[in-house]
Amino acid sequence: MMAFSEDHIALAAEYALGTLDADERAQVETMMAVDAEFTAIVHAWEYRLGVLNQMVGSIEPRPIVWENIKAAVGHSGAQAPMELPETPQVPPAVVEQAPVVEPAPVADNLNVIQSNAAQSNVIQLSGRVRRWRNVASFASAIAAALIAMLAVQVYRPDLLPDGLRPKPRIQTVEVKTPALPAPPSAQYVALLQQNGGSPAFILTVDAATKNFTVRKVGGDAEPGKSFELWLISDKLPQPRSLGVIGGAEFTARPVLSSYDAGTINSATYAVTVEQAGGSPDGKPHSTPIYTGKLIETVPAGAAR
Amino acid sequence: MLTPAELVWLIAAVAKGDEAAFERLYAATRAKLFGVVLRILRRQDLAEEVIQEAYVKIWNSAGQFNPALASPITWMASIARNRAIDVVRKKGEISIEEEPTAMEVAADSPDPLARREMTEELKRLLECVGRLEPDRQKLVLLAYYNGWSREQLAAKFETPVNTVKTWLRRSMMDIRECLGL
Repeated sequence: MMAFSEDHIALAAEYALGTLDADERAQVETMMAVDAEFTAIVHAWEYRLGVLNQMVGSIEPRPIVWENIKAAVGHSGAQAPMELPETPQVPPAVVEQAPVVEPAPVADNLNVIQSNAAQSNVIQLSGRVRRWRNVASFASAIAAALIAMLAVQVYRPDLLPDGLRPKPRIQTVEVKTPALPAPPSAQYVALLQQNGGSPAFILTVDAATKNFTVRKVGGDAEPGKSFELWLISDKLPQPRSLGVIGGAEFTARPVLSSYDAGTINSATYAVTVEQAGGSPDGKPHSTPIYTGKLIETVPAGAAR
Repeated sequence: MLTPAELVWLIAAVAKGDEAAFERLYAATRAKLFGVVLRILRRQDLAEEVIQEAYVKIWNSAGQFNPALASPITWMASIARNRAIDVVRKKGEISIEEEPTAMEVAADSPDPLARREMTEELKRLLECVGRLEPDRQKLVLLAYYNGWSREQLAAKFETPVNTVKTWLRRSMMDIRECLGL
C-alpha cells in the first residue's frame, strides 16, 4: 500500500463510497484490471464501508427474479427456491409506507459487541419488540442518515463508560518537509481493442520512467504469427515498432524512452499480426487489429 | 438468517458449481441485497435487473471470494451495490436535469431502515464517521446509503459541486486515518 499516492487512495475510497461519475468509475475499473494491488485497496474500502449495509432493511424481490437468475446461469432444475427462516422481511409494498426504524436504547447497543449468531438473534428479537412505526414526516433519506448518526453518537467513545472506552491508538504522523520526494508520476492506460469490444491488451505507461507494460487479456496469435505493438503519431513519418507482445501474459519494456511525452500521450497504439518474431523490416504488414489511446488514470501528484 | 460461517460454506459450494447451494445462498441473502440496491435505484424494475446481474456475477466469481477479507454478505452486497451505482451514474447525469423533481421523489419514497445486528466493524466505522463534522457525516451516509452523486449532494447541501468534492475527499481521508488504514 506504500506505493500508492493519496490520490490513488482517495480515488479508491470514493469509488467504494459511490460518488465518482461514470467516467471516473470506468477509470478505476480499468486500473483494477491492470493492478492487483490497487484492486486490493478498492476492495479494502468496499469491505470497510460495506458494514453500513447491516443497517439497511431487507426487502423481498419478486419470485421472477430467481427464475431469471436460474435461466441466466443455466440451471437445469425447476424447483422453487428453498424458503429459509429469515429476519422480518418487508414486502415491496412497504415502499409506499412510512419507514420502519428500529433504534435501540444505548444499553442495548453497548451489549452488541459480537457477531455471534445466537446472540445476535437475541438482540434482533429484543429489537423487534421495541420497534415502532416512525410517523415523522421527514424524508427517509434523511431518516437513514439520522439513524446512523444516532448510532454514531452512541458509539462516540467519550460517551462510553471507562471500561468500554477503546484504548487510544498511537498514530505515526508523517511530517512533511519542504524536501519532499518527487510526487508520484502520472499513470496512463490504453485499452487496445477491436471496434470497442473487450480489450485484447492493456497498455500502461509510467509518465516519469516512460516504461510501458502490456498485459495480455485476449487470446494468442495464431500459430506462426506474432502480435506486434506500434506507436502511430502524426509527429512521426511512419509507425514505430514497440516490439512483439503477447508471448507472455506481461511484457514490460523501456522502449518509449526515446519519445517525448507529447508524442507518447497523443499517439495511437496499435497491434498488428506479423510473421513469427515480428516484422522483419520495421514496417507493419497488416492493418491494426487492436487499437487504443492513452488516458490518464491518476494525475501526477495532483493538488488536493 | 444463516450464520456467516454457513454462508462461507455455501459460497465455497457455489464455487464448485453446486446449484442447490446457490439456491440456498440466494434464499438467505436476496432480501438484504434487494434492500441495498432498491434504496439506491428507487425503481423496482431496475433493482430487479441489477440483483439478477449481481447473482449471476456471484455465481461466476464465487471462487474469488476470500473470507479473510470480507464477510460473505459484505462481499455479495458490494457486488450488487457496485452494479447499482454503475446504473445510476450512467443514467443519472441526464435525468437530474430532465426531472427537477427527481430529488424530491427520491427523498420522499420511504425505505425501511432497520437496525439489525451491529458488528464490531460497524461500530468502529460509525465511530470514525461520528468524528466528522455533522454535515459531513450526513454527506457520507447519504452518499453511501442512497448512492447519490456529487451533483445530487451539492443540491441537497446547497453548495457548489467542487465543495462537495473537497468535503468528500477530506471526509474519506479522515475516516482512513481514524480507521488506521
